[in-house]
Amino acid sequence: MRKWQALIAAVFLFAALFVPLLALTDYTLQILFRVFLFAALGLAWNLVGGYAGQLSLGHAAYFGVGAYGLALFSKVGISPWASVLLGVGLAVISAAMIGKVSFRLRGPYFALCTIAFAEVLRLVAKNLPNVTGGDVGVQVPLLFPHSSIRCFYWSGVLLTSFALALSAWIERSRFGYYLMAIREDQDTALSVGVNAARSKLWALLISAAITGLGGALYASMFLFIVPDQVLPMDISTEIAIVAMLGGAGTLIGPLVGSVVLECAAEIFKNIFKEAHLLIYGVLIVVVVLFMPEGIVGTIVSKLALFKKTPSAPFAAPGRATAEEESQRVAIDK
Amino acid sequence: MSLLEVKHVSKRFGGLKAINDVSFLVKPGEVTFIVGPNGAGKTTLFNLITSVFHADSGSIHFEGRDISHLTPNGAAQIGIGRTFQLVKPLRNLTVLENVMLGAFLRTSSPSKAEKEATKVLAFLQMENVAHLPARGMGLPTLKRLEIARALATQPKLILLDEVVAGMPTSEAIKLALLLKRLPEWGISTIGGIEHVMQVVMRIADRVIVLDHGVLIAEGAPQDVVHRPEVIEAYLGSKYKEIAL
Amino acid sequence: MVNWFYVPLQAILNGLLTGALYALIGMGMALIFGVMRIVNFAHGAFLMMGMYATYVLFQATGVSPYYQFPLAGVLLFFVGYATYMGLLRPIGGQVDFMVILLTLGVALILTDGAQLVFGADYHQINIPLLSKNIHLGSQISINAPWLVSFGIAMVLACTLYWLVTQTMFGRAARAIAQNPYAAPLMGINVNRVQAIAFGIGSAAAGIAGALLLPVFYLFPDVGSQFTLKAFVLVVLGGMGSIQGAAIAGLVLGVVESLTSLYWGNQWALAVDFVFFILVLSLKPSGIFGSQRA
Repeated sequence: MRKWQALIAAVFLFAALFVPLLALTDYTLQILFRVFLFAALGLAWNLVGGYAGQLSLGHAAYFGVGAYGLALFSKVGISPWASVLLGVGLAVISAAMIGKVSFRLRGPYFALCTIAFAEVLRLVAKNLPNVTGGDVGVQVPLLFPHSSIRCFYWSGVLLTSFALALSAWIERSRFGYYLMAIREDQDTALSVGVNAARSKLWALLISAAITGLGGALYASMFLFIVPDQVLPMDISTEIAIVAMLGGAGTLIGPLVGSVVLECAAEIFKNIFKEAHLLIYGVLIVVVVLFMPEGIVGTIVSKLALFKKTPSAPFAAPGRATAEEESQRVAIDK
Repeated sequence: MSLLEVKHVSKRFGGLKAINDVSFLVKPGEVTFIVGPNGAGKTTLFNLITSVFHADSGSIHFEGRDISHLTPNGAAQIGIGRTFQLVKPLRNLTVLENVMLGAFLRTSSPSKAEKEATKVLAFLQMENVAHLPARGMGLPTLKRLEIARALATQPKLILLDEVVAGMPTSEAIKLALLLKRLPEWGISTIGGIEHVMQVVMRIADRVIVLDHGVLIAEGAPQDVVHRPEVIEAYLGSKYKEIAL
Repeated sequence: MVNWFYVPLQAILNGLLTGALYALIGMGMALIFGVMRIVNFAHGAFLMMGMYATYVLFQATGVSPYYQFPLAGVLLFFVGYATYMGLLRPIGGQVDFMVILLTLGVALILTDGAQLVFGADYHQINIPLLSKNIHLGSQISINAPWLVSFGIAMVLACTLYWLVTQTMFGRAARAIAQNPYAAPLMGINVNRVQAIAFGIGSAAAGIAGALLLPVFYLFPDVGSQFTLKAFVLVVLGGMGSIQGAAIAGLVLGVVESLTSLYWGNQWALAVDFVFFILVLSLKPSGIFGSQRA
């Protein structure tokens, strides 16, 4: 199952590289950049939310830190790409701190905690105008010499490819097994020697690094950022939805999810000028009610029924029974 | 030289003293059973040994080292494996993958883990279900899966909590005879059992009796089972079974 | 000389007044969370619905929100009940993850739906009561609408408390909260009780929205800040404790008010989250909570 997914993705991404050679408008390329950006962000989120099963609704924190890192470090004279690196580093440090506190909580408390941290960061960015420019915003340097959308598009494709390759590698490794075990039953994982706290943290650090890098790219494309653009909960939910819609815990789920979501959003935006977020809400409800394993997850499950072999091991964090849930405690000791 | 030494361990939860000044030793290569009516404290004792909680007083030593304040995963790493009374399989994985999880403690290579897991499954006579999802398995298989997973971690001591509860007696005895062979592989066993005495009598080297958190008897199975205080702890229908 | 006493005192009083509404919102969320362990991300959206419904009715009939708020309550009760029965119950067996996402989806739909129907503009209403102030001595003044909503909110809070502790419904709800497996064995129709609890919790949000209308700007996304605040209250108050959430609401109102006074408005919101994180890290069972988390 996994091999097919990897193959399809590889072909798709390879073909994607040639897309800018078609005569497309800048606007279209920008949308396609967004598709790949969010695919990468979704893949990054998938490490924590899909494989490890920890519902983070605060990934905007790392996105924003990456973005602001690029902006603020270059403001003090550091070269743009070095600033990107520093921004990513900062995102990883934030993840270490946020993770340390949040991972001691389980289930909804963990999700709420991640939201709280992201919101604090957003409010800090808004309320320290001398540092971050506040609501007025801050300039972001150009990462690519020609300021062409093509470069951003390609960087999006590259980031997605990288995230996908990383996910594929993790899926087959002991680390991936450990993450999934933590998702299925943390106490069981502990009883066989898995250091759950450490594994979850590593997943988050890797996830944050990629997310931060995505944030820096995004910021550079717009050349100017404000807190409500890169740090709001909307971004966190969009990232989570992309992964969930496509299939959390599957390899190419986030990629599929991003394509579907961003295209749906574009179509919707043209019909209803405002209120295009409505489509996100509808999609979430539909997915949760009818396709909780996401598009890819549902396909994989259905195929498994036909083949009469067990479904792919890395299925979505779907239907635990309520009884199993009740055995889970809200806090880690 | 003892493998596990529990010294004057007590644990209370709110107003209830779950374990009250319990001391015993387990020697390497032995099969020990902790026996006692429901609520006696067997699972609590297991949780204390594997550091799921920490004792209020007293100490626990493993291979001479103090393990009173580890973490559950730390306990597994130093060689204490355990199964859970309420089985906790990883439902979305296959039986083999469940066991591989245990094997990963000692190797980081998926192929080596798979080999080790296959070996363990063979020992427990479960090769035919290796590639089926854990979700669809019945209780006796899941109980064996618990054991397989713990065995794959190559423990020196394995704690089996109510490992035959809920199984038909014939199954229980078959499993017990398999477990009797564990010391050949260098694995000492502590089992916790409420009432399947046939198993205890057949394979235990030593029996420890707990009642309401207190250790009330200790010794070879035949001796312990006839002691008045032990029979008294188990009243009613259990009385008949023990007075065999 | 007198200012260091009266200025903070005024802030504290204002905080208590706002806090009463927070308490109402928090209690609604606490009821839902306590009985069903559901983190309802649509709570704020329900508040927004109550607010818009009241607004529409006010524009049509001129009846003050302080008289028509029960209608908002009734409306949101049914909305909540239907949401539970139609959307949440079918996915009952799934992990928390999915439930959270579902309520998030509902929130998005409601919020953007409101934007489609009413537009993104900010609305406000004017009632004569708004210009009345009550003076306590020469230094303290209380804006009348806040006092009225304080009174109403307190009465409703007490009613809710009475409902949960003294009625059969309340007892059934608490039974489910303590042991969802034993409860049906006692003859409790779990689904119906849970749906009612969800309905009541949502009604509380809707009423809070109605009470907020005179003193707050109305716009489609007005609810989301209250959703987050409600979570903070539920956690601070001790998971599922209604009294805890109420007290936490009052406390938070005062803390926000004092923060506004000394550090400026913008930090008041941040204070909510800082508190939240502190409590989650240090005492996850909440300030008033028991061991059971």
